[in-house]
Amino acid sequence: MNAYAIDSMVAAGPLRVANKRLEALLVARMRALLLMPAFGLVAVVALMRIASFGVLGAPDTPMSMEQRLLPPRGEITDRNGLPLARNYDAFALWYNPTAMKDGGSPLVHRPEEVAAKLAAIFPELDQADVAARLASGRAQYLRRRLLPEEANRVFDIGEPALELPAEKDRFYPQGSMAAHVLGYVKDGVGHLGMESVLNDRLTDSSLRGEPTAIALDLRVQGALEDELNKGMLSVNARGAAGVVLDVDTGEVIAMASLPAFDPNDIKTSDLMISDAEAKLGRTPRVFNSVTNQVYELGSTFKPLTVAAAIDAGIVRDLSLRYDAKPVKVAGRTLADSHNLGDTLNVPEALIHSSNTVTARVADKLGPERLRDTMRALGLAERPYIELPARGAPIWPGEKWSRVTTMTVSYGHGIAVTPLHLASAYAALVNGGVWRPATLYKVEPGKEPAGRRVFKEDTSARMRQLLRMIAVYGTGQSADAPGYRVGGKTGSAEKPSAGGYRKKLLVSTFAAAFPMDNPRYVVVAMLDEPKGTTASSFQRTAAWNAAPIVGKLIPRIGPLLDVRPDLSRDIDISDLRPLIRSDIK
Amino acid sequence: MNIAPATAIASDLPVRSGPRLTQRARLKIWWRELDHVLLGLIVLLMAVGCAAIAAASPAGADRLSSDTVTLDPLHFLWLHLRWLAVGIAAMLGLSMLSRESARRFAILLSLGMVAALILVPLIGTEVNGARRWLNLGFSFQPSEFLKPGFAITLAWIMSWKLKDPNMPVFGLVTGALALVVGLLMAQPNLGDAILFTGVWFVLVLLGGVSARQIAGLIAAGIGLLATAYMFYGNARNRIDSFFSGGTDYDQVDLAQRTLLAGGWDGVGFWVGRAKFRLPEAQTDYIFSVVGEEFGLIACAGIVLLFCAIVLRVLMRAASEENFFALLAASGLIAQLGGQAFINILVNLSLFPSKGMTLPLVSYGGSSTIAICCGFGLLLALTRRNPFLTRETAGLRNMLFDKEKDR
Repeated sequence: MNAYAIDSMVAAGPLRVANKRLEALLVARMRALLLMPAFGLVAVVALMRIASFGVLGAPDTPMSMEQRLLPPRGEITDRNGLPLARNYDAFALWYNPTAMKDGGSPLVHRPEEVAAKLAAIFPELDQADVAARLASGRAQYLRRRLLPEEANRVFDIGEPALELPAEKDRFYPQGSMAAHVLGYVKDGVGHLGMESVLNDRLTDSSLRGEPTAIALDLRVQGALEDELNKGMLSVNARGAAGVVLDVDTGEVIAMASLPAFDPNDIKTSDLMISDAEAKLGRTPRVFNSVTNQVYELGSTFKPLTVAAAIDAGIVRDLSLRYDAKPVKVAGRTLADSHNLGDTLNVPEALIHSSNTVTARVADKLGPERLRDTMRALGLAERPYIELPARGAPIWPGEKWSRVTTMTVSYGHGIAVTPLHLASAYAALVNGGVWRPATLYKVEPGKEPAGRRVFKEDTSARMRQLLRMIAVYGTGQSADAPGYRVGGKTGSAEKPSAGGYRKKLLVSTFAAAFPMDNPRYVVVAMLDEPKGTTASSFQRTAAWNAAPIVGKLIPRIGPLLDVRPDLSRDIDISDLRPLIRSDIK
Repeated sequence: MNIAPATAIASDLPVRSGPRLTQRARLKIWWRELDHVLLGLIVLLMAVGCAAIAAASPAGADRLSSDTVTLDPLHFLWLHLRWLAVGIAAMLGLSMLSRESARRFAILLSLGMVAALILVPLIGTEVNGARRWLNLGFSFQPSEFLKPGFAITLAWIMSWKLKDPNMPVFGLVTGALALVVGLLMAQPNLGDAILFTGVWFVLVLLGGVSARQIAGLIAAGIGLLATAYMFYGNARNRIDSFFSGGTDYDQVDLAQRTLLAGGWDGVGFWVGRAKFRLPEAQTDYIFSVVGEEFGLIACAGIVLLFCAIVLRVLMRAASEENFFALLAASGLIAQLGGQAFINILVNLSLFPSKGMTLPLVSYGGSSTIAICCGFGLLLALTRRNPFLTRETAGLRNMLFDKEKDR
């Protein structure tokens, strides 16, 4: 069709087009030919490289003794240089059917006998499967990560075909201790914890020769996990979380999320759970409940509210008595867990954990000032920590209604991680300066400037009040003699689809010690504790979380250079007369 | 000028007249027109691939096995054979298309895959920090399926300039490339971005840009790579680790150990051990596994095989009379051969690690189908009626007797 159309066109046009077409075609053909030597050159380079490999072997890059000694991955130690993650030469069990080199049977004994001997060393091996694999005559790994004594016993079987090549492997000498902080390594890549955060540093050949120290103290971590675990088991709690924070530097001295996992032996069940379990709000074991799970932490928020009110000058006279009858607001009634009398002053309200008085104080303070204090304490954003798994808080937005202000004042309607709470408590007691939490070791004098949230004297007042809660109030079982512990309990009902569930609690104790010169914040949290004999059939924090802290502090105090001293304490003589003793 | 323009243009037309052909006759014509040498080389490559995956599969299966799931050592071979069966069907089906149908298919494929690439950042799934996959029952990388379509679409755009010399074809193909590269870098996927740029370069080169422009393009390419190095973390890491060389136990080092473990003739089928320590043994580093189990001779064989395929197609392209088919075939082979040689050079530690598979040899899942589509389109484009007489000078005449033609 085109042919006829072109015939009728002006003669010069199609001729020029045809001419152009031929020219373009010729250029394209010539250049296509030029591509051939280009590809051929690449092929020749590849072939020459293969030939040089075949003739010379690997290009011999001279390796100094230093390079030979360089670990394949940098070690991680705690703040005192004790190993948390290191490399070791593991053995593998490799079946090499050609080892005998005589072309006959690859094994001296029958495959079934060899399999039986192997199964005697490694009980988890499937004997029939191993026998079938040996009989197949195909080279393969029978098992990875053998201990040296296991390797010796395999050697003693006397089968040349069972070879034991040494392989570099990552090893966590403390087992599951600090598993969530450390993470694990798979295929040479760090996952989850500091193995992931520090991956570049740990694999960098110029840096990995030196171990990397992190802020954790192994001994404190061990004590924290031990006490949390005991406390968790004694009240049949579903999980537990704890953190020990340096109040002046923000260093995380210990951080534990239970149940933990063993980074030496990651199981599929550690990493994922079924959909049915996920629907129930369960999380896999690798989930770090200190940094990633948000909870309504309940009454532990009351000291934050009171501090904001004192700081703003709303609470000036601590002897002033507030109405303690239930508050009716926006169609809801906010009440105390039990009747604490008609009126309470602020110290009494904290000691006995009164929702109503805290709510009335917050009401006087107003939503803006409470919101700004909470935000200054970092509770509106993900927690500051290096770990990749950081949970976003459930923050009630920018415009707080009256009822929101009142419920937030005692820790409901806002959900944060336990680490958020620990950082906020550090600011509460350290003179009023909030600093980000860190897992890196902070050299003396190098701590971040932080931001001032409370005045010095507000913080001093809060130290007195927190101490009084532990001496006279709900925190008495945390009051380890001589350690001047101060802290606040919190028992919050867990929310579910149909409102709060009365029987499922999150009980928390947030503490600091020693109160006359606070050095460390300790937060212990139990997820769904049950009433057991150990807790006198109570579910609230005073009976399960506070005792954990009471047992933990005497164990970690001496390790952290805090000596018990019964003759020293923070001066609370000005507040003591304000406490009536007739409230139960 | 002694050429009749009418016939020159008529030869581009599809044959539509004549009596209706039986199915059998159509098949016969297809078979006569097919480049048998190329088909034979492709089938040989597929066979090599099956053997290589059989060798590498235990390593990949071992790596993916956990305490609860133990994969069959030949897991990846069985999967590969399934994908390959679909791929061969796709390849033969596409090879039967006429040039026009192949072009239309490729254009539709390109449009669809560019749309899918736009969707990837929105609904894609993330693997190893890069968002490249779409999940439609089975997961696939749109960029893999864009590859065959892209070369042909660009060749089609370039061929417009024959109809109208004033058409801004250079700007159009460059714009198309910029769109694709932008989408790829968002994933991020530097390896494929480089590959697409290579295809584009071959097409503008063949499309007749001047020598000075070529020099300018090369300079711009070097500048872009330098920019990528400075602002693109992943690329910098890989290039750094390539030049710092020999950092113990990294992927490149492990690949080289595997490649060299077998010497000239290999340790033997299913006897290799180094492969078990290699991540991506069945995909990116399958060439090294071949080196361990079948020896360096087999590696050289694979290099020669790819070289033969590339040279065969380019030879055929250089004697082609249809501008579009010439460009499309050259672009397609630049893409397939480029990917193969980049992978081989990575395995030989001559090129920074790029995360690119060896076409038809690596286990690729759904991307095997994409590569088969590429070869199918290539077979369609290189099909030629052996009884037609040439309109222009043949290859020999063009090279040695050019003046006569003019």
